[in-house]
Amino acid sequence: MRTALDVNGLSYRYSDGTAALDDLHFQVQESECVGLIGPNGAGKSTLLLHLNGVLPETLARTATLSVFGEPLVEANLRSIRRQVGLLFQDPDDQLFCPTVYEDVAFGPKQLGLDPAEIVPRVLAEVGLVGFESRSPSRMSHGEKRRACLAGVLACDPAILVLDEPSSDLDPRGRRELIALLRRLPITKIIASHDLELVVELCSRVLVLDRGKIVADGPTTEILNDEPLMLAHGLERPHILRHSHPH
Amino acid sequence: MKAGELFASSADLDSPVHRLPAAMKLWIAVAMVVLVALAPKAWWFVPWGAALFLALVSGLSRVPARVLVGRLLIVEPFVLGVAILSLFQENGVSIFLALLAKSTVCIYTMVLLSCTTPFTAWIDALRQARVPSIFVTTVALMYRYLYVLLDEALRMRRARAARSFAPNRRFDWRLLASVAGQLFLRSTARAERIYSAMLSRGWR
Repeated sequence: MRTALDVNGLSYRYSDGTAALDDLHFQVQESECVGLIGPNGAGKSTLLLHLNGVLPETLARTATLSVFGEPLVEANLRSIRRQVGLLFQDPDDQLFCPTVYEDVAFGPKQLGLDPAEIVPRVLAEVGLVGFESRSPSRMSHGEKRRACLAGVLACDPAILVLDEPSSDLDPRGRRELIALLRRLPITKIIASHDLELVVELCSRVLVLDRGKIVADGPTTEILNDEPLMLAHGLERPHILRHSHPH
Repeated sequence: MKAGELFASSADLDSPVHRLPAAMKLWIAVAMVVLVALAPKAWWFVPWGAALFLALVSGLSRVPARVLVGRLLIVEPFVLGVAILSLFQENGVSIFLALLAKSTVCIYTMVLLSCTTPFTAWIDALRQARVPSIFVTTVALMYRYLYVLLDEALRMRRARAARSFAPNRRFDWRLLASVAGQLFLRSTARAERIYSAMLSRGWR
């Protein structure tokens, strides 16, 4: 099995000097599904933005991050963005085209691929057939989220990075999303406060707090560690409390 | 009602005017605006002819007059503002009237176009005409986020109304200023997030 992502000494400070990420070290193996949990402001979104080089604003000469062995430096930026698909927290940030079709076709067009073949396929995959000419401003939150996912999948990423994928979804939308993500065989990194989703999808979790990784291990083991969870603004999810027979 | 519906409701109607190709309508409209704007004073019949033509097309388009006039009135204060300045010169009144008539005809042309042509069709027409892509992208983004911004403003107004207990005009104005400032900050932050989203899907 190959190493999909190798983070080795990643640190980041915001322009006002606040430390956001502090010397992170971890690896993610190919087709692993890793949950990233931690309190608000822990640096989860900031870390995710680093994974395909949106942050830092100017790349350092020596990379502290590599994707499938490729170090994240200026010369590899395009290839790494191609391999890492990022789903943003707010769908309105991500759906910037006037119609769903154009938005999903945006990535493939940038990559020089043929949208006519790809767009219908990914729209079918996320269950949005018939939405091609819809404007994002007239869609529900769940539909927007699925359109965003279609836009990311259209770029055919090897690693899928999701920022709070289940926020603002109704129970059915959330269920469908979980089923959809489970069907995708690629490497996934999911930042979420929805710990039940993390339990269902991820075999391993990283706990991030104040820019540091404070725990890294199998999901059930870490999420069952009540003192650890409480110390970092989290809680033991309900689903684990009741997994034993009544 | 979402803010979007206030604007786009009539472009999806069906009428002979709606069915015409968007590119054709766009270029006729642009040609009319240029002609009307540049017509010398002696060609008084140009704006009148255009107005007659517009009235005819409006009738055929089946767009409710209320919508057309409503949108025209939104822009009219700006026209009036500019036109009033011309009153302070020699022959002011006739210049004022000519300016008012011409501008109203031009704006009404665009209002009618927007009421009979879906926005995506405009964008496609502009692309086909090889208008520089950076311009088309900017216009498309502006249109897309206009609604997001409007919804955000409406939500903020609602939140404010929910906690305003006594009417106080001076306080209201000060609040409005802070809402505008907030909206500006939020949209710059959003612009950055959108740009990140574009970058991560390969934008160069």
